[in-house]
Amino acid sequence: MLKIEHLTKVYPNGTVALKDVSFEVADGEFLAVIGLSGSGKSTLLRCINRLIEPTSGRIVWDGIDITAAPASEMRKIRRQIGMIFQQFNLVKRSSVMTNVLSGRLGYVSPVQSLFNYFSPADRARALKNLERLGLEDKAFVRADSLSGGQQQRVGIARALMQEPKLILADEPVASLDPVLAHSILKYLEQLHKEDQITVVCSLHFLDLVHRYATRVVALKDGQIVFRGLPHEIDDVQFKAIYGQEAERVSIV
Amino acid sequence: MNSSSTTLPSSAKNAPLASVLSLFIPGAGQVYLRSHGRGVAIFTTTLVLAFLINWALDNFRIGRVAAGGVTTSWLWGGLALFWAWNVFDAHRRTRGGTASNALGLALPALMIYFIAWQVTDVNLDRLVTRFEDTKIIFRALIHPDLFEREEVSQIGGFPLWLPCTTPPQSPFPPGAGSGYPLRLDKSCAKVGDPLTIRGEGYIPGTVGYVHWVDVKDEIQVREGGQAVTVVVGEDGRFEKTLKVPAFAGREGLDPNNPVQQVVEVRFTQEVGAPQPSENFGDLIGKIAQKPPPDLLVQLGLFHENATMPSFVPGKIFETIALGLMATLFSILFAVPLSFFAAHNIMSRIPGGMLVYYAMRTFLNVVRSIDTLIWGLIVIVWIGLGPFAGMLALGIHSVAALGKLYSEEIEHIDPGPIEAVTATGANLIQVIRYAVIPQIVPPFLAYTLLRWEINMPSATIVVFLPGGVIGFFVVETIRKGGYEQYAAALWVVAVVIMLVDYVSARWRERILVGETRVRTELPRPFYKSPRALAYVILALAVFVYSWELTGIDLKKLLDPGPTFMRLVGDFIEIDLSPDLLDTVTRQMLITIFQALIATTLGGAVALPFSFLAARNLTGRSRLLIWIYYLTRGMFNFLRSIEALLYSAIFVFWVGIGAFAGALALAVTTFALIGKLFSEAIENIDPGSVEAVTATGATRLQTIVYAILPQIIPPFTSYAIYQWDINIRIATIIGFAGGGGIGLLFYTYFNQLQYHKAGTVVAMIVIVITLMDFASARIRERLV
Repeated sequence: MLKIEHLTKVYPNGTVALKDVSFEVADGEFLAVIGLSGSGKSTLLRCINRLIEPTSGRIVWDGIDITAAPASEMRKIRRQIGMIFQQFNLVKRSSVMTNVLSGRLGYVSPVQSLFNYFSPADRARALKNLERLGLEDKAFVRADSLSGGQQQRVGIARALMQEPKLILADEPVASLDPVLAHSILKYLEQLHKEDQITVVCSLHFLDLVHRYATRVVALKDGQIVFRGLPHEIDDVQFKAIYGQEAERVSIV
Repeated sequence: MNSSSTTLPSSAKNAPLASVLSLFIPGAGQVYLRSHGRGVAIFTTTLVLAFLINWALDNFRIGRVAAGGVTTSWLWGGLALFWAWNVFDAHRRTRGGTASNALGLALPALMIYFIAWQVTDVNLDRLVTRFEDTKIIFRALIHPDLFEREEVSQIGGFPLWLPCTTPPQSPFPPGAGSGYPLRLDKSCAKVGDPLTIRGEGYIPGTVGYVHWVDVKDEIQVREGGQAVTVVVGEDGRFEKTLKVPAFAGREGLDPNNPVQQVVEVRFTQEVGAPQPSENFGDLIGKIAQKPPPDLLVQLGLFHENATMPSFVPGKIFETIALGLMATLFSILFAVPLSFFAAHNIMSRIPGGMLVYYAMRTFLNVVRSIDTLIWGLIVIVWIGLGPFAGMLALGIHSVAALGKLYSEEIEHIDPGPIEAVTATGANLIQVIRYAVIPQIVPPFLAYTLLRWEINMPSATIVVFLPGGVIGFFVVETIRKGGYEQYAAALWVVAVVIMLVDYVSARWRERILVGETRVRTELPRPFYKSPRALAYVILALAVFVYSWELTGIDLKKLLDPGPTFMRLVGDFIEIDLSPDLLDTVTRQMLITIFQALIATTLGGAVALPFSFLAARNLTGRSRLLIWIYYLTRGMFNFLRSIEALLYSAIFVFWVGIGAFAGALALAVTTFALIGKLFSEAIENIDPGSVEAVTATGATRLQTIVYAILPQIIPPFTSYAIYQWDINIRIATIIGFAGGGGIGLLFYTYFNQLQYHKAGTVVAMIVIVITLMDFASARIRERLV
């Protein structure tokens, strides 16, 4: 269970990114966070693993107050929360294998990892995860030689190395072709269903939300304007979230 | 000139007031109309022009006109025009328009260029009129002194009485001659008499020269300006008729006291296979008997006093070692310094920004002082030798690399850092897995690039008489050894082109990475014999280079006796008006010299750059040769430092700023030609296609699709090149090329360190300003 309570984030330049946001995510949910660009989706996701420090409010996960956790504790919390990024955020000049293994850094001894040493068990796990994402033949090529869709799959494999209970996905398909978008989300859905991983995923397209999410939270100007089930978003709700000018579009 | 778009609605402003303001203070009206940048630019331009006109009149009488009792410069007329333009501009701006920017730019540019042309003493005609004298160098370039063949000489001589007397002297008996058999058709003659020489038993086909030997002297006989030669026929004989030269009678001929003189014919013939010459040994290396290394003696393999044949490396090996060691050592210092000069790191640390600005300034100051100037300072510190050259090169490299490294750190992608942090990694792991993999490849690439730059510099750490190749060049040319000089140029060019090639391939591999698919992890290097061999080879090269460079770290702690005085004098520099006047004068000459070099080199490079563009000449099998030839020429000319060229031009057009400008123009030609051709290669074919598709003619396509794409990069490269040329021009005076370098060299050698310090301070200020200005202008262009 992930509880967000009265979360507010004000950036140093005065931008209010989140304003008193509260909601809950039950274990095993696939929660979609929707809203326009700049509505606070990315900030919300990054507050959950404290890549961004919230200004006020609390985030409680499985009874632990993430917002109050000291730095040493954060490491243990973060390693259970996988994250997937819009720009994939791979180290482009490192091999796919090294990128995937870096997902294990929260577990291994810092000294050993300095010399790129990972246990055979971890290496086997990395290969298994790559295989699961259909990339076993790409393990030793440089990350920047892969296509966008493949890079995002490496990003998922890296998150899987953490054996996460929760995956935060920040616009995971916004940089990809529509066809690839489905492929990536299907992998996420598979993890959600087979591994019972809770997924919090920000998305742009409503029809992706309909197809994959179990619940939806909509943000507008840093505030929650809708929470409920995907099919409950009607035209009125839609205009409330995306503005009067918006038109529904669908992707393949 | 700035064109700001932040003009307020002009009606809010008092229109005539703007024009009046500009009439009294140029640019003031523009500032009043809120075009601050434009106003400041106009004001500064006016000041600079006024100063330059006055300066040029006082120092060089440029533009001088005398009317009545008053002498003044007609260039003031140009300034008046610019002033008028500025008032017109202010007037136009109140109506929402602007005066033509082109005119406002062209007027000052033309005036400055006119002054530059005069100050640099450009005399292009000298390139033609004095070409005859320079042929000797070009001939030497075709016959570099690297190999020689054994020479066999045949000299035949026969005596002759001058003048004839009555009664005649007794004729010489057949055996009277010396050396190889030679006969004359008479035994006595007077000046102007025809004389026939016959010889036999010489090597067929050889050419000999006739010499005249009298009591005191000997001289080669010339007729009509040409040396008199004889050609040996198939049968080994020759016959030649000439007139007795005036030279023979210069002492005055006394019929009562005839003098015996000798006619000689000299043949030199090269025989056998070419052997490396002595110059080859100096440049590249030779095998000589040397005492064995201590290690072998200690192992008992050699007797202490024994000798063994060993390779004595020539100057070029010292040069390579020097460039290599300087680059390696500069990495050690540049890496830590670069973190202090990286904005994105220092801004996170309290007080870090102070350190950031201090470090950036430090790097810029060190970088703006040329390697050669550093070299002279280092020599005072640790004494002569290649080690001093290495340090000088190293100091300059640390600053240059530090700046490049820090910019690379500033450009790293924050995404992976975020992602690795999100996995729960700690700070050290984040650096290891997200930062280092991002910066190591570009760092390596920049280091290699620096190596490419250091190698030519190493060749000219000339005036440090450390026994490096540049010194050798200057020495040989001073002694008239053009063939030795030519050999050095060839060797340098070949080695530098090789280094460039290796380094460029290497950089490409680092930045692109391996694309082939591997099925398993690469083996660690200690298990791969190939990688292991590379490591051992690298270590061996390192140790050998260390040896050759004569690195002696103890010397660093034991500065020379005058070093402390130098440091003191450099802090308390001489700021007397007289000196400032001299330094300013030479600095301006240097700047103008660089300007002339950039425009001359650029103008000549322009047509060639089209020939060296792959998308233009690389298409057909016939034209590809033009492409390779032009590219090859660029690469060859680029590999030799301007300072080495100045040796040629000093000989060609005479010592002075013009010679230096020409030397710079040659390197500019090569560098800018390459950059231009790459800009042409980078043209987007899409827009050319689009314009062609509208039905445009070939000329229209060029004007609308090609020119707009190449003019901005061309201008940007030209400004960049001017910036670089000013740096090089600061030292071109070391080899007679004029400008501020000579001033520094003179003060420094006279131990007038406080004056030399003023020169350095001037160089630092000007280079830093130019660097800043050129970067700003180029940013706006691209």
